[in-house]
Amino acid sequence: MTTLLQQIANGLVLGATIGLIALGYTMVYGIIQLINFAHGEVFMVGAFGGLAVYRWVLPEDIRDDWYISLPAMLVGGVIIAIVVAVLMERLAYRPLRNAPRLAPLITALGVSVALQEAVRLWFPDATSAQAFPRVFVDAQIDIGPIAISASQLLLIVVSIVLAVLLQLYISKSRMGRAMRATSMDRDTARLMGVNPDRVIVLTFVLGAALAGVAGVLYGSNINLIANDIGFQNGIFAFTAAVLGGIGSLRGAVIGAFIIGLIKTLGGQYLPGGTDYDYVWIFVVLILVLVFRPQGLFGEVERMRA
Amino acid sequence: MSKLSAWVPAALARPFTAVGGVLFLLAAMLPWATFLLNDGAYPEKATLQFFDAPFELTGFRWHLLLFGAAAIVITFVPLPGKARVLRALGWGGLIIGLVGAIFIASEGGGLGAITAADGNTALGSIVALLGGIVLVLGATATGIEDLPHWPTRLGSSPIQQRLTAYVVLIVAFAGVLWLVSATLTAGGIGGAAFPYAGPIFLAYLGFAGGLLAALHGVGLARWISQLSEEHRAFSIVVLLACACALPFTEAGSQYWMQVAATIGVYAATAIGLNIVVGLAGLLDLGYVAFLGIGAFVAANLSGAAASSLGWDLPFPLAALIAAVVAGIFGAIVGSPTLRVRGDYLAIVTLAFGEIFYRSSQNNIGDLTGGSNSIPGIPPVTMFGTPFNEPFTLFGTELPTGVLYYFLIVVIVAIIMAVFANLKNSRIGRAWIAVREDEDAARAMGIRTGQVKILAFLVGAMLAGLAGAVFVHKLGTASYSSFQFLESVTLLAAVILGGMGTIPGAVLGASLLFVLPEKLREFDDYRLLVFGLALVFIMRFRPQGLVPDRIRRAEFAGETAEGKPIEEVEEQVVLEHEQAEHEAPSAPKEGKA
Repeated sequence: MTTLLQQIANGLVLGATIGLIALGYTMVYGIIQLINFAHGEVFMVGAFGGLAVYRWVLPEDIRDDWYISLPAMLVGGVIIAIVVAVLMERLAYRPLRNAPRLAPLITALGVSVALQEAVRLWFPDATSAQAFPRVFVDAQIDIGPIAISASQLLLIVVSIVLAVLLQLYISKSRMGRAMRATSMDRDTARLMGVNPDRVIVLTFVLGAALAGVAGVLYGSNINLIANDIGFQNGIFAFTAAVLGGIGSLRGAVIGAFIIGLIKTLGGQYLPGGTDYDYVWIFVVLILVLVFRPQGLFGEVERMRA
Repeated sequence: MSKLSAWVPAALARPFTAVGGVLFLLAAMLPWATFLLNDGAYPEKATLQFFDAPFELTGFRWHLLLFGAAAIVITFVPLPGKARVLRALGWGGLIIGLVGAIFIASEGGGLGAITAADGNTALGSIVALLGGIVLVLGATATGIEDLPHWPTRLGSSPIQQRLTAYVVLIVAFAGVLWLVSATLTAGGIGGAAFPYAGPIFLAYLGFAGGLLAALHGVGLARWISQLSEEHRAFSIVVLLACACALPFTEAGSQYWMQVAATIGVYAATAIGLNIVVGLAGLLDLGYVAFLGIGAFVAANLSGAAASSLGWDLPFPLAALIAAVVAGIFGAIVGSPTLRVRGDYLAIVTLAFGEIFYRSSQNNIGDLTGGSNSIPGIPPVTMFGTPFNEPFTLFGTELPTGVLYYFLIVVIVAIIMAVFANLKNSRIGRAWIAVREDEDAARAMGIRTGQVKILAFLVGAMLAGLAGAVFVHKLGTASYSSFQFLESVTLLAAVILGGMGTIPGAVLGASLLFVLPEKLREFDDYRLLVFGLALVFIMRFRPQGLVPDRIRRAEFAGETAEGKPIEEVEEQVVLEHEQAEHEAPSAPKEGKA
C-alpha cells in the first residue's frame, strides 16, 4: 500500500513536469496545427538557462538562499526559453506558414536536433550530464506513509497554479479571446482586427515560458540535466496533450498526470518493470490515437473548433 | 535568383561573365595560403608560390581552371541555356573558393592566412570568391531562360536512331560511373590521419555540383533521362553493368567497397521508405524499426552463436523470412491508418519505433541480445564462397567486401524494379491518389484503407530485406543501430533527394551517408549541421534535389513543366476569356 501511494506521488510529480510542457504543445497545435517537436528542446534550453544563471550570474555568497536564486533562475530560464521559441517561430516556422503540412513538421524535427546539438557543443561541459543545484528548501515532507520533497511539492503546486492562470488568461483576457478566434478561423479573425502573427508569437511565448519554468523546476528536482531531456519529456508531453484532447488546456494537464501515473505505476506493477515503463506510455499513445483520436476532453472544451 | 538580375544591367552581362572566368583562371594559379599548409596533398604542395604551368595543376585548382576557361569560352559562344550554365559554373567556383577560404583561414588562424602575412600574399581564395560572385551576377543579368529541348531521335532510319541512342547512353552511364568513383575517392579516407579529406571533398562537391548543374542547364541531363526512358531495358542493363564495374575503378579498394555497400543498404531502405512517404504520402517516423526487425530476424536465423534460437538457414531463406516478418509488422503498424491521419499517423509510427527500440534494448524474448547485441553472425556464404573474403574475377583480385557490394547491387536493383513497376501500376496510382486527396480517392472507388496498409507492408518488406544484408555485412546486430535519429536520417535522405523518385532516394542516401564518412574530423558538428540542413531544405528547396514531376508542382507552386502556377493560371484565364468572346451564344444553343 505504501509503495502504491509512493508511486502515485512520484507519478504526480512527473505529471506536473510533463503538464507544463504539454500546455505549450497543445496551444501551438491549437493555433497553427503544428506538432512542434522542438518544444521539448525549449524545455531543455530553459533548464540550461537556469543553470547558467546559477553558475555565472548569481554571486556565490547569496546563491544558496533559495528566495533569491530560485526566482532569478526561473526568470533566466524563462527568458532564454522565450528567446529560443520566438527565434524558432520567426526563422523556421513563419516562412512555411502556407507550405504543405509535411514541411513544418520536418523543420520542427530539424530544429529539435539542432538545438540539442547546439547545447551539447556550446554549453560548457554539456557533452555529459550536468549537476543541477537543489535550489529550493531541501526538506522532506511526510504525508502519512509517503515522503515527498519540498521541490516536488513546489513543482506540483506551480504546475497547477500556472495551468489555472493560463486557462483564465485565455478565457477572460482580450488577447486570449484573440487567440481563440485565431485558432477557430485565422482569416475571419484577421478581418475582425486580430493580428494573427502577433497572436502566434504570443502563443509561442506563453508555451515557452511554461516550458522554461518546467525546465528549472525539473532540474532542481532531479538535480541532473542533459541535452537529451527535452526529447524524452517532449514525447511524453505530446502524448499527454493527445491523451487529453489536443487543443484543450485542461485536457493537457489531466493527460499529463495520467501519463505520469502510467509510467510510475507501470514500472512498478506491469511485467518488465522500469525497463518497459516507456513502452507502456507509447502503447497508451497508440491506443488513444486509434480509438479516441479526439482525446479525453476533445470537442467539449477546445481552443480550436 | 530573379532578384539578383536587377543588380547588373543586361548590357554588362557579357563583360561580367568574362571577368568572372578570368578571375577563376587567376585564382587557380595564385597562392592560397600565406604559410606552409603541408608538404603533402592539400591539394598543391605548399600553396605558396604562383603557378605558371596551368596544365600541371591538380585538384581544386584544376577544377577552377576548367570552370574559368569554360566560362570565358561560353561567354562568347552561342549556347542553349547559356545563362544557366554560367550560373552553375559560378556557384561551383564560389563553393570551391568558400571551402578553401574557410578551411585555410581556420587552420592558419584568421584572415591573414588568406590575404597577406609574413611577407607572403595569398589571395587565391578571395579571387575565386569574387570571380564566383561576378560570374553569377553576370549570368543572371539577362534573366534565366527555359531549359533547352534536344531532339531524342537522331539519324534518319530507326536503326540509326536506336544505335545513336545506345552509344549516348553508354557514354553517359560511363560518365556517371567515373563521377561516382571520383566522388567516393575524392579527398581520400577522412579521419585524424588525414585532416584534409573533408575540405578536399567539399571543394570537390562544389566542382561536381557545378558540373552537373551546368550539364543540366544545357539540357543534356534531361535529354539523357528522356533517352533512357525511351530505351528502358537497355539503360537498365548498362546501369547494372556500370554498377558492377565500380570495383574495377579507382574506388575498388576494401574500404570504399565497404562504404559503397553500406550506402547501398541505406539506399535500399530509403527507396522502401519512399514508397510509404513519397508515393502514399504517409509520414513514417519509425521506419528504421523495420530495418531492425529484418536485421534481428536474420541474425537469429543465421547461426550466430549468441542467438537463442540456434537455427542456421541459408541466406536467401533467412532474408526472405526477415522480409516477410518485417512486412507483417509493417501491416500491423499501418493498420491505425484506417482511423488515423496526417500528423497523428506520424506520431503512431514514432511511438512504434520507440517501442521497438526500447524492447530490443531490453532483449525482449531473448531475441535481440539487449545491450550485449548479437555478435558473431557468420558471413553470407553462397556457391561455397564466404562473402567476407577477397574474390578473384577475370584474373583480377578484388578486395574483401566486394561480394557484399555485388549482393547489395542486386538487391537495390530488385528494389528499384519493384518500386518502378509499382509506381506505374494500378496500386502505385492509387497511392498517389491517396496522397493527393484521400477523400477524392475514396470517392473514385479506391479502397484507401487496404491501399495504405499495402504501402506500409511493401515498404517494411523492402526494409526487412535490406536489414538482413545489413546485419550479415556488419556481423553484429545491435539495438543502437535503430534509433529515432536513424529514422529521421532516412526520412531526410528521401526528402533531400526528392520524394517519389528513385534517383532522388539513392542520391539522398549517398550524400547523407558519404558526407559523415568524409568529414570525420568535423564529426562533432555532424548532427548540428544535419538539423540545420533539414530546416534549410524545407525553407529553400522542399521538393528535393531530383524532384518528382507531380511533387514539384505541389511544393514549389509550379506546374509539372516547371512554370510558375500564377503564369499558367493567367494564361488559362486569358484563353477562357478569348473562348467566351468568340462564342458567346454557345451555351444557350446547347440548352436549346
